[in-house]
Amino acid sequence: MRALLMIVIASATLAAQGGPPRVTSQDLLDGLRDPTRWLTNGGEYSGQRHSPLTQITPENVDQLVAQWTFQTGTLGSFQTTPVVIDGVLYVTGFNNNAWAIDARSGRQIWRYRRELPDDIRLCCSAVNRGFAVLGDRLFMATLDAHLIALDMQTGSVLFDVELADYRLGYSATVAPLVVKDKVIVGIAGAEYGIRGFIDAFDVQTGTRAWRFYTVPGPDDPGGRSWPVGDAYKRGGGSIWVTGTYDPQLNTVFYGTGNPGPDYYSSAREGDNLYTASLVALDADTGQLRWHYQFTPHDVHDWDSTQVPVLADLTINNQPRKVVMFANRNGFFYTIDRVTGKVIVAKPFVTTTWAREIGTDGRPVLLPGHLPDEDGEKTCPDLGGGTNFMSPSYDPATRLFFVTARETCATFFAYDQPFKPGEQYTGGATSRPRDQKNFGALRAIDPVTASMKWEFRYPTTSAAGVLTTGSGLVFAGDGDGNVMAFESRTGKNLWHYQLGFAMRSTAGTTYMLDGRQYLLVPSGSALTAFALPQKR
Amino acid sequence: MTRSMLGLALVLLVAGRATLSGGGLPAGQAPPAASPAAKNPHLGNPQSIRSGMALYRIKCADCHGLDASGYRGPDLTAVMAAGATDERLFQTIRKGVPGTDMPAARELDTPDDDLLMMIAYLRKIGSVAPAEKPVGNVENGGRLFAAQCASCHRVAGRGGRIGPDLTRVGATRSRAALTREIRTPSEWITPAFETVTVVTKDGQRIRGTKKNEDVFSIQVMDARERIQGYMKSNLQDIIYDTTSLMPNFGPDRLSDRDLSDLLGYLMSLRG
Repeated sequence: MRALLMIVIASATLAAQGGPPRVTSQDLLDGLRDPTRWLTNGGEYSGQRHSPLTQITPENVDQLVAQWTFQTGTLGSFQTTPVVIDGVLYVTGFNNNAWAIDARSGRQIWRYRRELPDDIRLCCSAVNRGFAVLGDRLFMATLDAHLIALDMQTGSVLFDVELADYRLGYSATVAPLVVKDKVIVGIAGAEYGIRGFIDAFDVQTGTRAWRFYTVPGPDDPGGRSWPVGDAYKRGGGSIWVTGTYDPQLNTVFYGTGNPGPDYYSSAREGDNLYTASLVALDADTGQLRWHYQFTPHDVHDWDSTQVPVLADLTINNQPRKVVMFANRNGFFYTIDRVTGKVIVAKPFVTTTWAREIGTDGRPVLLPGHLPDEDGEKTCPDLGGGTNFMSPSYDPATRLFFVTARETCATFFAYDQPFKPGEQYTGGATSRPRDQKNFGALRAIDPVTASMKWEFRYPTTSAAGVLTTGSGLVFAGDGDGNVMAFESRTGKNLWHYQLGFAMRSTAGTTYMLDGRQYLLVPSGSALTAFALPQKR
Repeated sequence: MTRSMLGLALVLLVAGRATLSGGGLPAGQAPPAASPAAKNPHLGNPQSIRSGMALYRIKCADCHGLDASGYRGPDLTAVMAAGATDERLFQTIRKGVPGTDMPAARELDTPDDDLLMMIAYLRKIGSVAPAEKPVGNVENGGRLFAAQCASCHRVAGRGGRIGPDLTRVGATRSRAALTREIRTPSEWITPAFETVTVVTKDGQRIRGTKKNEDVFSIQVMDARERIQGYMKSNLQDIIYDTTSLMPNFGPDRLSDRDLSDLLGYLMSLRG
């Protein structure tokens, strides 16, 4: 008996040391089926950011109470989506800090801090958008353009591979996406004249499996959409928002960034594929299945790095596999995700640069919107109709929720010589003196691309959106409020002043000890809310 | 916001280094490098001046005006006419002006070469700008200020709080901008000084300047200089006024001569 007990203890010790895979590929496919977990950036591969949880309801949401706050103690803001596994939060933060945090108390378990070179080039702050997870490994892209794997139990580094040379302006901020045995990541830095790409690495060895260049070479398909010469080598096309995955089609979908230089048209005549586009890639090989370019020859810095949200809709009595996309250029698109053809597209904010999206899928341009040294006014501004903040889709109401921005800007452009490692934008923008920008949470019917309701904010917001199975929408304004709305009507039901606006962060929700938590990153703090505990 | 914080951190870092090196150079250490503006290769180069113009319009024109004659920020043609050197211009653009709206230009965003091209452009337009007109009677301007402005505006810790503090206004506003802001103050109202009236549920009307606002609340300084926040759910109405609390000081109220004296006084306020 004692021998048997010893064997049992030894087995248990071995199991603890070796660590059985804690997150499987099937778990990732199951998404939010296990209510205690939040495993991928959008909650599920579809990117819907819709939780089936129902403990917090429209009737009781106004009773939500802050349970704890975690402060990073570092300069800089969160742009992350926390991963939640078995009562522990895995969170990435500013300057490539990361933490494992007790989800019950908000107390730190371990902390990872990456030593970064002093001379990294970042257009837009030293942020990170989150971990991916498989087995007992966490995957993180780093500001100095590496992909690292961390031990989930300790935060120690398991592998560290270089994506590109940071000294040339390459950087990485995106939350990786694990599909089967590969971890998929993209590169950023289009304001520094980089050539964008999407990479897939083996989750165990860190060996690169494939690379897809978002800017094709001269002899590749699409290469003629760039002028003859070296323009493609600094053509931009950054990837800084996580893509989505359709297991049935075995296809990943990524929105791509702006062409470089951002504003100066003459430096890159042509459509500039595959910038400002949606690309559909074979998940195993990285081969391009199709692409759709939202803004051919973009000159307004309208990255299409928004979340491509997948859903199955009935349109004209036909079942359609679609991808829904609220684009920075001001148009909302519902696209057939098998073929890449536009089903419907309409503006969801004020747009002055295109009359409509034509039957050929190309925008019908309006004159006078090519930036030059004298400046031209265009709506929306460079921040766009929306941006990298996650939208959400609620399959019950069949509504798409997005933080919209009503803005205009004066765009200037000028010829700028390219110098490796230096900013290469060829222009900039300013806000017209009489311009009054504002924001709104908008509910869009993806079948018709028409707005069903809106809730206006006095200033623009960059907060992401979360919906739940109880008919709630959680969103944030630009002034630090996290809010709850009734999803069918847009009626505001609850708000809490966080002290700092949710900048590209969105709520996540999970069950722990029988209670539903709402977790909100804002500024350098994480705040967890729940209903009062019954005694 | 984050970028501003980084900018601030950079300024502090620069300031910290300056303090550390303030005790003199250790033996054998090289003296500080000369300002890049001491030898500006872009002066007089038409292509550089054109690029400098584009950069200026993007980064500077919103405050200093398209022709650099000042809008909210100082008249740069006057600054140059008064003898500002290229090194001084370079230093001011690079490091900003603490306590004012003028930010520091980070080296990563604006390389030295961009600054030098902007200076080449400013020299091109500055060389044909008329000199600043002689100022008025500063003493009389001070008396006018005390009589007509000080109840709302504060200088060096004295005066009212309803309007912006003017202790350093001479360093941050051009004469043209000040003239506009005195004659027609509603043309552009400084953020946090917009006029608002909140109406409480019991009908009380509180008029003042809006300090902040979000979806659910509004923060106001009333005519008695009391700062107070209100939950919108407890208010009957909020009336947003596009007219400044400051009255128009047209020629009927302030003669051209008195305006010139008042401008002379205001331009002397440099903190």
